[in-house]
Amino acid sequence: MRFADFTAFDLVLLAQGLGVNIALFLATSLIGLVIGIAWAIVRYYRVPVLSEVITFVSELLKNSPVLVQLFLVFFGLPGLFHIRVTPVTAATITLSANTAAFIYVIAVSAIESIGRDQIEAARVFGLTRWQVLRHVLAPQAAAFAVGPLIALLVNQLQVTSLISVIGVVDLTKIGNILNMRTLKPFVVWTAVGLLYYAAAKLVALLGTRFENRLRAHSAWRGL
Amino acid sequence: MRLDLSILLPHLGFLAQGALLTAEACVLALVGSVIMGAFVAIARTSSSAALRRIAFVYVDIFRNVPFIVQLFFFYYGLPEIGLYIDAFTTGVIALSIAGGAYASDIIRAGILAIDQGIIEAAEVSGLSRRVIFTRIVLPIALRTSVRPLGSVLINMILTSSILSTITLNELTGSAQIVVSQTYRPFEVYVVLLVVYAALTYLVSLAIAILHRRLNRDMMEAVA
Repeated sequence: MRFADFTAFDLVLLAQGLGVNIALFLATSLIGLVIGIAWAIVRYYRVPVLSEVITFVSELLKNSPVLVQLFLVFFGLPGLFHIRVTPVTAATITLSANTAAFIYVIAVSAIESIGRDQIEAARVFGLTRWQVLRHVLAPQAAAFAVGPLIALLVNQLQVTSLISVIGVVDLTKIGNILNMRTLKPFVVWTAVGLLYYAAAKLVALLGTRFENRLRAHSAWRGL
Repeated sequence: MRLDLSILLPHLGFLAQGALLTAEACVLALVGSVIMGAFVAIARTSSSAALRRIAFVYVDIFRNVPFIVQLFFFYYGLPEIGLYIDAFTTGVIALSIAGGAYASDIIRAGILAIDQGIIEAAEVSGLSRRVIFTRIVLPIALRTSVRPLGSVLINMILTSSILSTITLNELTGSAQIVVSQTYRPFEVYVVLLVVYAALTYLVSLAIAILHRRLNRDMMEAVA
């Protein structure tokens, strides 16, 4: 006997799936942000060899499919090192590294957007290189980077849907399960799509609010 | 732990076939998305508010829903309404529609960037509105958007790896088959990562050359 109808519990399943996506999105964005900014600082201090390695790795991560990166971590690492990698671990590692690669580029261009003369002026006033980074570069770079960063995060939220391919039971996987059970692809995938859409809009909305707050100091106040 | 790339040698031909399928799908989808994007861009720059609204909703939806969900929607949904088409066609259609949302934004920007004087001159010369659009506006808009359309193509090459989830044996799909034959996931996926990165790098070089060639008479304007 086959049970092919929708039940109220399916809504719980969908919510759970969305929760997995959002949790993983938040965790990997945060880790990616930290790693990406750390890479950008390494480049700012012009650390030899390390800077070149970071640029190369970030180019490789940006220019290859996330799916292949996921397969490499999930199937490749256990094959090479004989370690156990769970789907969630593999997803966290891959998405963090991928996000970091994009954030690195944004952070570098944000730092470079600030004029050399400001750094020189700050140095002449006797600020150390760290103080320049903390009090002169960081606030301005943050205001510059927040726009591209929001666009990136909206994109990365959608990329989390790929983790279903390596077996994480996220919203897309739930969609697959419901699709196979009910055989109503239009209903299932429309619902799944709507949930992703709502989540993306929420990220964009929160991002815009945050952006307005960061830029409030330079906004037009009227005469 | 040992890394031995030579085990891949007997499978190179098979992988090349997969790469060819990826290339075919991407080229077809690029053509599809430029056509789609041009029509949507026309709608978004038209004087009818309803048309602008519909076009905006299309772009908004297909940019904010993950590609894998769109793909499953078409792959499982189309047979439901009596359309039995193979995975390749489904993949190309899905890529075209998703790519069209991105392409339309680019072409729209190209249209809006056209000097109003050119259009006025054409109107004064007595050209009809259709001729102005197809012979003057669209060629200018398309050639200034070669570089951004190129980044759509690069994105498409990366996104096409997702087609492996609907049983299409393109580059990623054939790599999965090679993995199941050799039991060497790390080697296969590392090579795959590098191949994708090299492929997109070559494409971006070719696009830069094409862009410079097409816009050689207005170099200072497009830099």
